[in-house]
Amino acid sequence: MQYLPCGIYHEYYQQDHAWWQTRFVIGKMILLGIFIFYILPFWGGLYWVGVATLTIYTIMGALGVQLLIGYCGQVTLGHAAFIAVGAYTATLLTLQLHLPYLLSMFIGGLVAGLWSVLFGLPSAKVKGFYLIMTSLAAQFVTVDFILTQYVSQIGGRGQAFSLPPGSITIGPLVLDSDLKVYFLGAVLTILLTMGLANLLRSKVGRAWIAIRDNDIAAETMGINIITYKLMAFFVAGFIGGIAGAFWVSTLAALSPEHFQWFWSLWLVGVILIGGVGSIYGTIFGSLFMVLIMEGLKFIIIPLTPVYPALTMKFLFLKEATFGLAICLFLIYEPNGLAYRWWQIKNYFNLWPFSY
Amino acid sequence: MRKKSLLWLTAFLMTFLGAAGMVWAAQGEIRLGSINDMTGATSDVGKDYALGIAEAIAYVNDIGGINGKKIKLFQYDYGYRIPEAVTTYKRFRDFDKVVAVLGWGTGDTEALSPTITKDKMPYVSASYSAHLTDPKKTPYNLFFCTDYSSGARSAITAWYDNVWKKDAKYKARRDKGEKPRLVCFYMAASPYASAPIKAIKDHAALLGIEVGPDQDVSLTALDTKSQVLGAKQFKPDLVWHGNTTMSVATAMRDAYSLGLGADHVVNVWGFDENLPRLAGPAAEGAMGATVCAFFGGKAPMMNKIQAYAKRINPGVPANKRLVRTIQAWGAVLLLTDAMKIADKQGKLNGEGIMKAMETFKNKDFGLGSQPASFSATDHRPTTGAPIFKIEKGKFVLVEAVDLKKRWPDKWEKEWMGW
Repeated sequence: MQYLPCGIYHEYYQQDHAWWQTRFVIGKMILLGIFIFYILPFWGGLYWVGVATLTIYTIMGALGVQLLIGYCGQVTLGHAAFIAVGAYTATLLTLQLHLPYLLSMFIGGLVAGLWSVLFGLPSAKVKGFYLIMTSLAAQFVTVDFILTQYVSQIGGRGQAFSLPPGSITIGPLVLDSDLKVYFLGAVLTILLTMGLANLLRSKVGRAWIAIRDNDIAAETMGINIITYKLMAFFVAGFIGGIAGAFWVSTLAALSPEHFQWFWSLWLVGVILIGGVGSIYGTIFGSLFMVLIMEGLKFIIIPLTPVYPALTMKFLFLKEATFGLAICLFLIYEPNGLAYRWWQIKNYFNLWPFSY
Repeated sequence: MRKKSLLWLTAFLMTFLGAAGMVWAAQGEIRLGSINDMTGATSDVGKDYALGIAEAIAYVNDIGGINGKKIKLFQYDYGYRIPEAVTTYKRFRDFDKVVAVLGWGTGDTEALSPTITKDKMPYVSASYSAHLTDPKKTPYNLFFCTDYSSGARSAITAWYDNVWKKDAKYKARRDKGEKPRLVCFYMAASPYASAPIKAIKDHAALLGIEVGPDQDVSLTALDTKSQVLGAKQFKPDLVWHGNTTMSVATAMRDAYSLGLGADHVVNVWGFDENLPRLAGPAAEGAMGATVCAFFGGKAPMMNKIQAYAKRINPGVPANKRLVRTIQAWGAVLLLTDAMKIADKQGKLNGEGIMKAMETFKNKDFGLGSQPASFSATDHRPTTGAPIFKIEKGKFVLVEAVDLKKRWPDKWEKEWMGW
């Protein structure tokens, strides 16, 4: 629910469902756009562009997880597999068949979506913990077996290979600098986020949410739950595939090590911290996870010459902190950062009469 | 309550700012970045390497730094996660403004290779993957010792010459004209472990060794019985272990308890002082491609290495230190020696440092490694490797194999860059 300033009344459903309902919000969005497309890339320095690119990749990866877990209630622990499928499909199409990069990216997304549907099929029969097991299977079957043993061998490059310079192009534009990759990623993320947000306010999205809240009730209301669950798997896989294809452009190199099980787990952590069932949550979670890691660098790297023990002893805590952060969020902020953001907004919206 | 937390905050800020002040006070220094793994899948060998890097930099600074300028080292643990290696590298490049990077694993080094080439950033890795030795493809990647493929070729050659052809247990099969059989144990998804596999299979064909089905063993494996049983059907005489020490020791113990009955050859990052400790009698007779002297072994620099280990990291006892320390010294000495030359010529930048490294001919770092030579067309540092064997828990030199002498044509024309 959201609060509107006094004097604004909605008369049509379109107004009620519009994304940006007041001029103030539109103004904020313009400022955000200026920040994303002008201030950060041109004034922020290459390092922050690099951090932003990683954040963008995390957002795109986590959007699919958010859709499955947060909106459709299908817990997944193998999303890195679909990201990997997209990355490998797009790369091999670009290198072997010389398709344009954006077309390969799109096909990569479709293939990843279909692959995700394949591993979503068990969701017709099983729920909860058992579904987690099948998603784990997706991770290991896809990345450690099929991609490593067979797909990587196409073209004889071996498990780890890099793309020759200049092979990733959009029309005449060669994607060869961090800045260009960042812009591509920013546009893609905005398109995917808008697409998903739009889906969620349509019939499909309402069906997903109904399935999440109570699948039996949803079925009695006439929702074909198998079709809609598989649709969710397709969309999640598609978004993951696009994320994977984008990741290839950031490094121009690929190996199965980029898509290990840890990354799947990481993405679930992102939405748990950001907020389950909220698109904002995906973005806040990604920002949090990436910035915490970078923040640690800011504290630890300058301090190590003075306190050498930090590198060896303190850094072990980093892995533990990740788990601890999730525990603390589940205990004290179960709705994630997105809920906190909502509260902060409301505080200012209702100020000074917040009762 | 509030007062107390304010006090803590002040204390924290004081320590932080104080330290930062001390750091930024030093001017006229040269910055180096180091990406290490102390918590991830390869931390079994990465921790000691990270200690060695810091000690070697302290040594270089004590003997005068880079022509009088001190080196400032930025060291960070990336937990063997590639996305974090990427942002750490970008931080080193754009924020800390380092002149060169000391890297770690094959996965991230190969993944960053296109980026560092674009940035002209010298990158001395702990990955000795042969994919990094062709300057046409990876002009800014370098390392100081035998690459994985040459090491594997040397180790298999040494086993073939010294064990298969001489050992009494193979006499009957030799006389019947049977071929020896080889199986590879490695993590296929890891670029490090899979880097030399193509070369191994090529070399097996060259020597007339039959190769069985590969067995996929994770870098973090705690149980490898199914892989050992899978290999047992093929009845191998020799097993290649391509992972790091922990995983290799697990595989050896399982091979021992299930009676696989094969000899072992191990890649460089799986062959150190911890292997006989972890695998015990199962490691007896295992051979490994080594690149330098073991900790406390025979090398001109060993006294200094031990003294610095004791001084900089007194908390780690000498009997816990590994050959990884010496490997780290190799990486640091290769880079800093080149930086000294580049600095004298006034070209302390990416191109200058790489040009300086390419002038090294038969360069001996005093670490018991084979002399290293580089040229603008060939970044393979050595032409072979000393092969050691574990006997009663001690490392004994079997033979120093020189591949270039034995197969000069293939070395020059065929075996480049893989």
